[in-house]
Amino acid sequence: MSKVTSRANGGQVRQGEAGGASPLSKSLYSLSLKPSSRPRTDAASDVCPVCKSSRYLNPNMKFLVNPECYHKMCESCVDRIFSHGPAPCPIAGCARTLRKGKFREATFEDLKVEREVDIRRRVASIMNKEESDFETLKDYNDYLEQVEEITWNLILKIDVDETNHRLQRWADAQAAETGATRRTYEPDPSMAGASGVVLKKGGTQRRALETSSGNTTDTNVKDKGFNFHGLKKKVAPPPEAPFDPFDGWSIAPQYYTLQNDYDADWLTKHKREKEQLVGGYQWSDFYNRALQDAFGGLTVFIDDEIRARDIPSGDAAIGTERAATAAAGGQDVNMDDIF
Amino acid sequence: MKLNEDDLYRTSTQFRQWSFTAEQLAAQRAKTNLQATERVKLNVARQRAQRVQAAELDSTSGNSGIDGSGANTPNAVTSDKEVDCLTVTEEMTFVEEFCERTMALGAHCKFSDNVIATCVQFLRRFYLYNSPMTYHAQNISRTAMFLAGKSESEHQSLDHFATNISSEKTKVTPEQILAPEYLIVQALRFNFDVKHPFRALKGGVLDMMSIANGKYEGPNHSIHKTAADLSTAIHQLPRKTGGLAAKATSQQLADRIMRESYSPAAQTLKKTAALTDVYFLYTPSQIWLAALLLADEPLVLFYLSVKMPSTSPVYEKVIVALRECALILSSHRSHQKLHLPADEQARMDAEHRAEVKRLIKKLKLCQDPDKLDLVKLNQAQKRDAVQGSDLDVHKAKRRKMDRENFQKDSDTFWGPELPTYGAKPA
Ligand SMILES: [Zn+2]
Ligand SMILES: [Zn+2]
Repeated sequence: MSKVTSRANGGQVRQGEAGGASPLSKSLYSLSLKPSSRPRTDAASDVCPVCKSSRYLNPNMKFLVNPECYHKMCESCVDRIFSHGPAPCPIAGCARTLRKGKFREATFEDLKVEREVDIRRRVASIMNKEESDFETLKDYNDYLEQVEEITWNLILKIDVDETNHRLQRWADAQAAETGATRRTYEPDPSMAGASGVVLKKGGTQRRALETSSGNTTDTNVKDKGFNFHGLKKKVAPPPEAPFDPFDGWSIAPQYYTLQNDYDADWLTKHKREKEQLVGGYQWSDFYNRALQDAFGGLTVFIDDEIRARDIPSGDAAIGTERAATAAAGGQDVNMDDIF
Repeated sequence: MKLNEDDLYRTSTQFRQWSFTAEQLAAQRAKTNLQATERVKLNVARQRAQRVQAAELDSTSGNSGIDGSGANTPNAVTSDKEVDCLTVTEEMTFVEEFCERTMALGAHCKFSDNVIATCVQFLRRFYLYNSPMTYHAQNISRTAMFLAGKSESEHQSLDHFATNISSEKTKVTPEQILAPEYLIVQALRFNFDVKHPFRALKGGVLDMMSIANGKYEGPNHSIHKTAADLSTAIHQLPRKTGGLAAKATSQQLADRIMRESYSPAAQTLKKTAALTDVYFLYTPSQIWLAALLLADEPLVLFYLSVKMPSTSPVYEKVIVALRECALILSSHRSHQKLHLPADEQARMDAEHRAEVKRLIKKLKLCQDPDKLDLVKLNQAQKRDAVQGSDLDVHKAKRRKMDRENFQKDSDTFWGPELPTYGAKPA
C-alpha cells in the first residue's frame, strides 16, 4: 500500500495546470512513440512460443494476446486451438481458459503496459467524476489520488478481490443515484481468484460471489464501496414537461367571447349553401377570425406607438430603417443595371 | 402569457413596416419627391446632351432629318423646355387617380373586393417610396393587380390576365406585366399581407346582431348588466346623436344595422378608405369603427361602451382616434360627393378630370427617361435575355465574365450544381 501511495503522489494528481509527466506516461512514451531502438526483427519477439514459426518465414504473421493472461501467440495458433470453443492457454504453466473472441492485437509491445492500460480503462469507466462534481479543487485532487491508488492496487495485484468488490458497489451506487441502467464493472480477468470467466460456470460463480458478499450489502445499504469527501449530491434532472409548441403563450381575446352561433340574414343564406357544408369548413373559424379582425388593433394607437418605438429602437426598428433606406435610397437595391 | 387581439395585430407587417405617423408620411413623400426630381433632371440633362451629340454626328454624316421617335408627342427628352417636375400634392392626386382606375380595372377583371383593396394598398405602399415620375402608374398598377391576385389566392394566369386587361387601343403583353414585378415586390419589402377592415366589419356587425338578439356573451362594461337588458337598450338607441330615444322593433333594428349602417360603412371602406391614408395611420379595427361611426354614431358609441368601461382613459383615446379617422374618411372627395346633388357631383368630377388630364400631360414632360421601357430594363437584368436586347457588346461581355466568376466562386464554396437525372427541366 505504502508503495502505491508514494507512486501516486509521484505525479498523477492533477495540480491546476501542472503538466508533470507521470512515470507511466513516460514509459508509455518511450515504448510506443519513441522509435524503437531494438530492430523489429528481434528473434525472441518474432517467434511464436506455441508453434515456433517465425516472422522470418512468414512476413504476414500476426501476434495476438488475450487479456486473461496476456500470453502472446500467433494468429494461426489462435485459430487452431480456440476455434472450437474455449480452451486452456497452451503456454506452459498458465492453463487459463481463453476464448477466441477476446484475442486481439496488442497495442503496446510491452505487454505489462498493455495490461496497465486495460486496467486503467476499466477503472476510468467507473471512476468517472469530473472536477465540476466536487466542491473544491482539493477534493477533486484527493479523489484523483484515491483513484490512482485503486488503479495501482489492481496493477500490482494488491487486495484485488476487495478492490473489485468495492468498485462494483461504487458502480451500482452511481447507477442507482443517476437512475441510469446499471453498469457492470468487469473485474480484471487476468487476476487469479477474481471472478474471471471459467467456462460456463461463470454465471453461477458470480452469483455465489454476490451472495457471499450479499449479507454485507444488505446490512449496510449505504456502503458505496468508496467515500469521497466533497462530492456534490447528484440531482436527477426534472422529468421533461410535455412539448408546448406555443411556448406557454396563448391567445386570450379581450373584447369578445366566441359564441356558438351568430345570426344574420346574409349568414343564414350562406349557411345553407352546399359549399359550406363540406367537411373541414367550420363556421366558428370564420366567426373567430372575423371577430379577431374586428378588434385586432383597436387600442393600438399608431401615433403613440411609433413615437415610443423611436426612442430606444430595438433591432427590429434598425432593420426597418435599413430596409426603408434601401427601398427609398437613390438607387433601389439591385434594381437598375446589376453591374 | 396571454396575447390579446392587439398583440396579434402588433406582429403584423402592416403594423411593423407600414404604419406611420402623419408627419412621417409627409416627410417620406417629400423625400421621395425630392429624390425623384433630382434624378429626373439629371437623367434628362444627360440624355439631352447625348441627343445633341447624336444629332451633330448625324448632320455631319449627312443623313439627318429622320427622327420619327415621338416627334408628334414630345417627352421629357425631346421637349426643349425646362423640366417641370410634379409636386408632392400632384403626385398624390395622380396616384389616387390611378388607384381609382385600378379599382375599375379590378372590377373589369372580376377580382374580388379583397384583391382590389390589396392592389390599391400595394400601389400606395409602392408610391410611398417611389415617385410616379420614376415609374409610371399605368405600368405599375397592372402588375400590382396581378400580384394582388396572387397574394389573395385568386390567381389568374398571366396570359388570361393580359388579354383581360388589353383593350383594342392598348395591347398589353405578358412581358409588360412581368417586367416590374420584382421591382414592386421589392418595394413592398416582400410584405404581401394587407389587413383589411372588411371581414372585421362583418365580425363587428355579427357581434352587434347578437346583442340585438339578446344572445350576447362577450365582455360587458355597460350599465345594462344582462344580455336581455343590452338587447332592450340597443332597441332604444336614438337614430342620430342627441336624437330622441325611440323603441324600435327587432325587424327595424336589424334593418338599421344591416342596411343603414353596414351597407354605407362597407361602401366607405371599399372606396374611400382605400383612397386615403387611413391604412397607414390607423388599424383595421379603428378604420371599420370609424366608417361605421359615419353611418351610425349612436350605435358605435353604444357598442364601444359595452366593450370597454367608458370611464377608462383608453375609451376616450379610442373615441378620439375614431373621430380623427372618420374625419379623414368624410373629408375625402369620394365621400363628400355622396351628400351632394347630382349637378354638384358632376361639377366636382369634371374638375377632377381636368386636373388629372393636366397632370398626365405634365408627367409626360417629367417622366424619368431611364425608366420608360421597363421591359427592356427587366430583360437587361435577366440572365439569358441578353441576346434580345440591344446591350452593347462590351457590356454584355463584362456581364458574362462577372457571371462566370460568380459561378466559379460559388462552385468552389458550395460545390458544383448537382446533375439532373431523368427528365429535362422545363
Ligand atoms: Zn503459433
Ligand atoms: Zn496464458
